[in-house]
Amino acid sequence: MPFTAKSGKFNASIKTVTIGTGDKAITLGGENVLPFYTFDAPIENAPKVGIEITDFGLENEPECIKKYYEGCTTLAEIAKKAASFEGVDFLCFRMEGGDPNGANKSTEELIAALKEVADAVDLPLVVSGSKNVEKDAELLTKAAEALQGRNAVILPAREENYKTVGAAAGLAYNQVVGAESSVDINLAKQLNVLLTQLGVNASSIAMNVGTATAGYGYEYVASTMQRVKAAALSQNDTQLQMPIITPVASETWAVKESVTSEADIPEWGDQERRGVDMEVQTAAADLACGSNAVILKHPTSIATISKMIKELI
Amino acid sequence: MALKGLDIFKLSPKKNCKECGSPTCMAFSMKVAQGAVDVSACPYFSEEAKAQLSEATAPPMKTVKIGTGSEEFSLGGETVLERHEKTFVSKTRYAAFVCNCMDAATIDAKLAQIPVVEYERISERMYVEMIYVNYKEGGQTDYVELVKKASALGRTMVLGCTDVDVAKAALAVCKDSKPVLNGATASNYEAMSAAAQEAGVVLGVGGANMSEIYDTVKALEALGNKNLVIDTTGATIKETFANTVQLRKAAIKDGDRTCGYPSIVNLAKLASGDMHLQSALAAVFTIKYGSIVVMEEITYAEALPLYGLRQNIFTDPQKPMRVEPGIYPINGGDENSLCLTTVDFALTYFLVSGELERSGVPCNLIISDAGGLSVLTAWAAGKLSSSSIEKFWKEQDIEGKIKCRKLVIPGKVAVLKGEIEAKLPGWEIIIAPTEAAQLVKFLKDMA
Amino acid sequence: MAKFITIGERLSTTAPAVNKAFTQRDPEPIIARAKQQLDAGATYLDVNIGPAESDGEDLMKWAVQLLQSEFDNVPLALDTSNKKAIEAGISVYNRSKGKPIVNSADAAGRIENIDLAAANDAIVIALCNGEGIAKDNDERMGYCQLLLERGLEHGMEAEDLWFDPLFLVVKGMQDKQMQILECIKMFSDMGLNSTGGLSNNSNGMPKHIRPIMDSAMVAMAMMQGLTSAIVNPNDTRLMETIKSCDVLKNNTLYADSYLEI
Repeated sequence: MPFTAKSGKFNASIKTVTIGTGDKAITLGGENVLPFYTFDAPIENAPKVGIEITDFGLENEPECIKKYYEGCTTLAEIAKKAASFEGVDFLCFRMEGGDPNGANKSTEELIAALKEVADAVDLPLVVSGSKNVEKDAELLTKAAEALQGRNAVILPAREENYKTVGAAAGLAYNQVVGAESSVDINLAKQLNVLLTQLGVNASSIAMNVGTATAGYGYEYVASTMQRVKAAALSQNDTQLQMPIITPVASETWAVKESVTSEADIPEWGDQERRGVDMEVQTAAADLACGSNAVILKHPTSIATISKMIKELI
Repeated sequence: MALKGLDIFKLSPKKNCKECGSPTCMAFSMKVAQGAVDVSACPYFSEEAKAQLSEATAPPMKTVKIGTGSEEFSLGGETVLERHEKTFVSKTRYAAFVCNCMDAATIDAKLAQIPVVEYERISERMYVEMIYVNYKEGGQTDYVELVKKASALGRTMVLGCTDVDVAKAALAVCKDSKPVLNGATASNYEAMSAAAQEAGVVLGVGGANMSEIYDTVKALEALGNKNLVIDTTGATIKETFANTVQLRKAAIKDGDRTCGYPSIVNLAKLASGDMHLQSALAAVFTIKYGSIVVMEEITYAEALPLYGLRQNIFTDPQKPMRVEPGIYPINGGDENSLCLTTVDFALTYFLVSGELERSGVPCNLIISDAGGLSVLTAWAAGKLSSSSIEKFWKEQDIEGKIKCRKLVIPGKVAVLKGEIEAKLPGWEIIIAPTEAAQLVKFLKDMA
Repeated sequence: MAKFITIGERLSTTAPAVNKAFTQRDPEPIIARAKQQLDAGATYLDVNIGPAESDGEDLMKWAVQLLQSEFDNVPLALDTSNKKAIEAGISVYNRSKGKPIVNSADAAGRIENIDLAAANDAIVIALCNGEGIAKDNDERMGYCQLLLERGLEHGMEAEDLWFDPLFLVVKGMQDKQMQILECIKMFSDMGLNSTGGLSNNSNGMPKHIRPIMDSAMVAMAMMQGLTSAIVNPNDTRLMETIKSCDVLKNNTLYADSYLEI
């Protein structure tokens, strides 16, 4: 008797969101099955992998990342190099230096940096803010304006600033709004409702429903993503059918398992290998739980995850 | 799995004879579903229907036990597909791979690597729990000798061997440690099952595809062997993922008992030579239904994220993870270093300790018993208060252990400042920012 | 659990304006009423053309095509005692947004509507009712069994039979209300779907009381496991209650704006 599995295809599907323009444009979402369940129904748009660079260039990067950018001095060179690594589908520029509690760079300076990066590559872009909601309201509005015509993701619109960021990105400058809710599924839904009520087209919204490193409260991320997908697909909750983009690198390259040098804890072994494994395992878990795109930074991680996606789709 | 009245009604005689005391068969079925009455109260329910009923109410997935003593592990026994529905009960176990096709030097190096990973994380011992000992015909090392050597490490083993005679010889030297014999196929299952049953070990079943495996499992069940695991490793990664997921779904969702066994996923076979890809896939199969996941090697690089991930995924969704209360020195903090306190909710601990580490400032993080709740919840529940801190200070003799008299409290409970100052005379109480992310700047500014 | 399904009841020949529009084949009032109900959150629309003995087939076809073309194949409940009219309606029905509902069958004269639903792969509302109102739940469940068996015999899935306990008017049958609620629990325990004309309970009450009574009834009935109801979706209090109960039952995910979506 042959083994016959019942199909787990749903009547509802994840909405598609296109990022970027021209040949390099990518489409997220569209599937009507759980992540990688190609045996239930084909998944047309494979999950995508992005590479992250920041306004600090290589200044704060560990040696094991820096070495891949040898000879790059300007942001434009770094961006070009980043875009050239195997498996990169899009580029994320994080304006980390805008944080008033950190370097507190001016909006003008950061927008100039953003333009330099954007002009250097033709890949789809994700631009990510400073983690400070007030600063982001201004910074991301200007970023949306600066990237007109690029169909970029502007991340993050949060509960506190969604009106400003959503209106600029989603209405005035025709970008994709990235709605961020930190592992709060009710807020994830609410933000989508609010952005829709603001007039943002549902096909111009992507979500970051929360992120954590494997081992660091990851159960909340896993359950949030799985519950979002369950509501979207099995309950046909249209306000949760937006694709999910998950920043990974900024989380995993901050934990001790990734940053401690081999000299400090010799038994842990090579730092680069550890950092990459932390990054790929977190990204793989995110994808298995429902992320439609992940943002990484180590070239080996990107190549690995890109290969894994190809193998699974 | 609880049966709905409707499922029972479909099997009922539908005579409405009232002999059971219920007015209709439907009413009777409802009572059986609620457990208010036993199906035997109906004189006309066929034996076949009763058998179907008891089959349907059995657990959807078997629990099998492997290993002995402290190395005994349960596999399977799951009742849900996602962790937020109900706790996953049996953790994924990771096995390091060795094969008699390797030369002696490689084998020694591989076996020597196994005990290297050894640490504790949130009260759980983290180490390489299993060894997968693969048999290849004509291999350059004697398989039984290899099994002996591997078994000396005291880890639970999987014998990957489809040759019945070799398997028997290997079992003869290690059966007391209750390894898994992963070797049944469509062509050898009778003899292999007999060998496994004689040795009292769990049998692994493999095959070219799911249909072949399914038939072999059915045949083994007919032979009376239900002490099984299923090797879902296919020819490709995609096929393996499909096999593993479909097997679990068929068991849990569709109640197909033939699929209700734990799985073995062999990444050493699927992504040979690419440790980062194996690492990524191990994470995927930790979330998606791998019971034993085999990797070419398990060093700290694979273990640190993987064991952390597993610890997260296999927690009770209703119960937060807690860290042990105590003093945690950070960045070489000593008795003269600044003290900070927060709750024992694991997520809070990791967030705060991570930021403290990033600051580079030597300090002591003092974790008091707050019932595993987050700062505000603990405060609201009275588990983080001036008196809970006073009590903890006494119990742990903080003042005897630490000379510094500066204590930073979470920004979210700034209201406690005055009370704590009153209860801990001599201490300067400082209020931290409300978000952990602001700690680095805060500490640097203080220093 | 699936979201509670509301069937909008306002397209009924019992309303003079609707009756006139049906007779004259005047689309405007029909579309206006349909739109009001859908905007208010109705899932299905009930199309009650009355007995329509003379032109039922033509009328039902007209109504189905009008509504489905205007409102993106909105799913409909075809409500008439004229079987041919129901069949005619189904013949032009687009099921992309949901199967048609045959409204309704009972355990007496209209039991053949089960066969009709089975033959057309439709959902059927199965009234647990014979000749006259059932005296107790034993009798109701007897009818339930009869109807269920009939459906299964004709190849229906149990989930396509929506059982109606027949809501009773409080003014006159106050002492029977808990019985109806218990009956819903029995359907639910069996794993069966259920529905009913919920506002029957408040018949004859002052106008301002009815939404309050209907809301209380729907909350209690949903607690018992009611999966659907035929309601006036433009009763804001009732719809808010249903949405709130859907949240409490974890049928939909809460968001602060849940009443607006």
